[in-house]
Amino acid sequence: MSIEWIEQVLQLTVQMGTVYLIASLGEIYAERSGVLNLGLEGIMIMGAAISFIFTVAYNHLIAILVAAVVGILMSLILAVMTVHLRLNQVIVGLALTLLGIGLSGVITSPGIREKILLTLNPNLPEKMLTIQQAEKLLEIPIPLLSQIPILGRALFNHNVLVYFSLITAFSMWFILFKTRAGLVIRSVGENPSMADTLGVNVFLVRYITVIISGLFASLAGAYFFIGFHPFWREGVTAGRGFIAIALVILATWNPLRAILGAYLFGGIETLQYRLQLLGLGAQSPYFLAMLPYIITIIALILISTESLRKKIGAPASLGIPYSREE
Amino acid sequence: MKKKITSKEGLQDKISRREFLGLSKTVAIGGVIVAGVVGGVAGYLAGSAAAPAVTTAPASTITTTRVETREVTKTVTAPVARKLKVGYVYVGPIGDYGWTHGHDRGRRWADEKFGLNNVESIYIESVPEAEAAGAIKSLIEKGCELIITTSFGYMDTTAEAAEKYPDKYFVHISGYRSGAAGNAPQNMSAAFAEFYQLYYLNGLAAGAVTQTGVVGYVGAYPIPEVVRHINAFVLGANYAYKKRTGKNIKAHVSWIFEWVAPEKARAAAIALVEEKNCDVLAFTEDTPAVLQVAEEYQRKGKKVWSFSHYSDMREYGPTAHLTGQIANWGPIYLDFYKMVATNTWQSVDIWTRIGDYMSWRWRLPVEKSTAGLPEGTVYLAPLNPVIPSEWQLEIKKRYEEMKELLFEPFSVEGNLGEPIRDQNGEVRIKAGERADHDMLWNMDWHVEYIEEPLPR
Repeated sequence: MSIEWIEQVLQLTVQMGTVYLIASLGEIYAERSGVLNLGLEGIMIMGAAISFIFTVAYNHLIAILVAAVVGILMSLILAVMTVHLRLNQVIVGLALTLLGIGLSGVITSPGIREKILLTLNPNLPEKMLTIQQAEKLLEIPIPLLSQIPILGRALFNHNVLVYFSLITAFSMWFILFKTRAGLVIRSVGENPSMADTLGVNVFLVRYITVIISGLFASLAGAYFFIGFHPFWREGVTAGRGFIAIALVILATWNPLRAILGAYLFGGIETLQYRLQLLGLGAQSPYFLAMLPYIITIIALILISTESLRKKIGAPASLGIPYSREE
Repeated sequence: MKKKITSKEGLQDKISRREFLGLSKTVAIGGVIVAGVVGGVAGYLAGSAAAPAVTTAPASTITTTRVETREVTKTVTAPVARKLKVGYVYVGPIGDYGWTHGHDRGRRWADEKFGLNNVESIYIESVPEAEAAGAIKSLIEKGCELIITTSFGYMDTTAEAAEKYPDKYFVHISGYRSGAAGNAPQNMSAAFAEFYQLYYLNGLAAGAVTQTGVVGYVGAYPIPEVVRHINAFVLGANYAYKKRTGKNIKAHVSWIFEWVAPEKARAAAIALVEEKNCDVLAFTEDTPAVLQVAEEYQRKGKKVWSFSHYSDMREYGPTAHLTGQIANWGPIYLDFYKMVATNTWQSVDIWTRIGDYMSWRWRLPVEKSTAGLPEGTVYLAPLNPVIPSEWQLEIKKRYEEMKELLFEPFSVEGNLGEPIRDQNGEVRIKAGERADHDMLWNMDWHVEYIEEPLPR
């Protein structure tokens, strides 16, 4: 194992892990305030679909902005349903996931996509109307920092969305644990009626955090498409939204631990194929392929068992709609 | 008294806040369900919108003028042949760019050749293998006479349906059950377009351009179909590389255990390049992912090459594309259309290779070779000029010879006169032998040049 090998593995690990990191950062905020956003997968795949269409029609910047807006709009559905109307968060979240998967398939199906692209940009060459690929985000090595051995290639030789994910992970950790705003969010998730008594607008806080989770989920989808592998197919995110939700639990609702968790998942996916070639697990590569899903199942068991939830420090009122009367 | 009653009524009229929230909750749940239904219907409509609309054949009017005493106008209904209705069951979405995309191109090709006035074809996409029976039933209820199912996993369901509907015709792709083979009713046929010869030619191109002497393969599942494609590719690569340098080729295989998983294929391709120094990558995965990875390396200045698979994928890797295997299922479908339309059905087991369904089956001189042009059901993607010209000629020569089956990759001629050995050194194909259909369809061993064992 040379230094180059470690660099290569870490670089791809970060690229693979970033999609989980971005999505879980937003989810951490939503869950910290007491709302479980199970619509992550649906919002993520819509982010990917939107970034595909708008990158082909215009450019990366517009694609990312539109994906962000769509993410916000989709999470607003969840916010109205769960915060305002106090519906079951699991059911609404799953409905949102199904909606996102279906809608992304419709707007990207060959005939409809062609019409959308022509409406957006009538000057598009014919070739672009049928291609299922978009221009990939450029990697921008950071001067000096990217020259550091090992860490340079692992962390400072990526596209802008990877840098964005790292910077926001640190700043979101800071906001959540070191500022008054973070305290308000956490208190709403722990004991909303107490927070309400103290003059915190519980509904507003939950609206904002749900919107943040939608925004980040959509950006994660956009990263996955234009930043990681720019080829469109139906169901392109393949359940990564659910893995991100599991990751939130694994990270015990802490943005800094989410970085490690995301890279752990990314690392498993990267190493899977390398270990095969090194003769490890080549006879039965199924075990490594299973790992992310096993971890996801364990995490979901943890979160759904009441007594265990308290032990791992889950927000006390996670999943419980808040109403003033009760 | 009066007052009291009014207040009581008022109490009944007033809905408490809690009740109101309960009501709005019900409304909202209803809303979610309605949204789901609307989404589903929209998706369904979008799918069926792609199918051609029904057109009724107009009755033709013939006006005959008689020169004699009076004029007679006769309306005659010309004998219009019935319009054939064909139903397709696809395993993936038509936008997968690989397998199902290829079948859908074949469907449109066959429809066009048969005449859009004579045939109406409909398809159902993304049908899970367990739900094939329902899909077949709904196609029959829509009036389809010919049902074509395009995934190996549909085989038994198709045979059952053939038994249940003896007056309909069934074609199953990539299986081995048919009336001709004797293990299915007579109204069922089997068909498959075979790629291993083209993989061998890809191997020749790979061995001709590789600088590192190491080639890689991203495999979907370790089943005989994929294993024979890998073996054919590696034999070809060894042939060209050994002839060039005198050394054996080294080959590595990375399995992803999915048919459609571009991000996994990406990771596997990167691992092959970085871990084992492979500079030519072939693959069995239904998207251009591996070609896209090769193109990214080319842009960074590292020479890595790859191929087309099922469809012409050149636009996904304009620099890195060497050649590749392309299928046109259309001629096979057209054959079945004709059989059903003319009531000349016969159960068959079609296995097409290079040369089949070509208008000109004889081999052409190398300088006139059609290698790289669309023809028949399986053909080579255009050859990249980076392949040295003597190897382009060799590829064309072999392509032409295979039209007449004069050359067989799985024979000592395909391995520079050496017997073909497996990874344990056991001789699998001796001098004077050729792999036959059964050997190819049951291949469960890797050729000796591959370093990883075959997962079991």
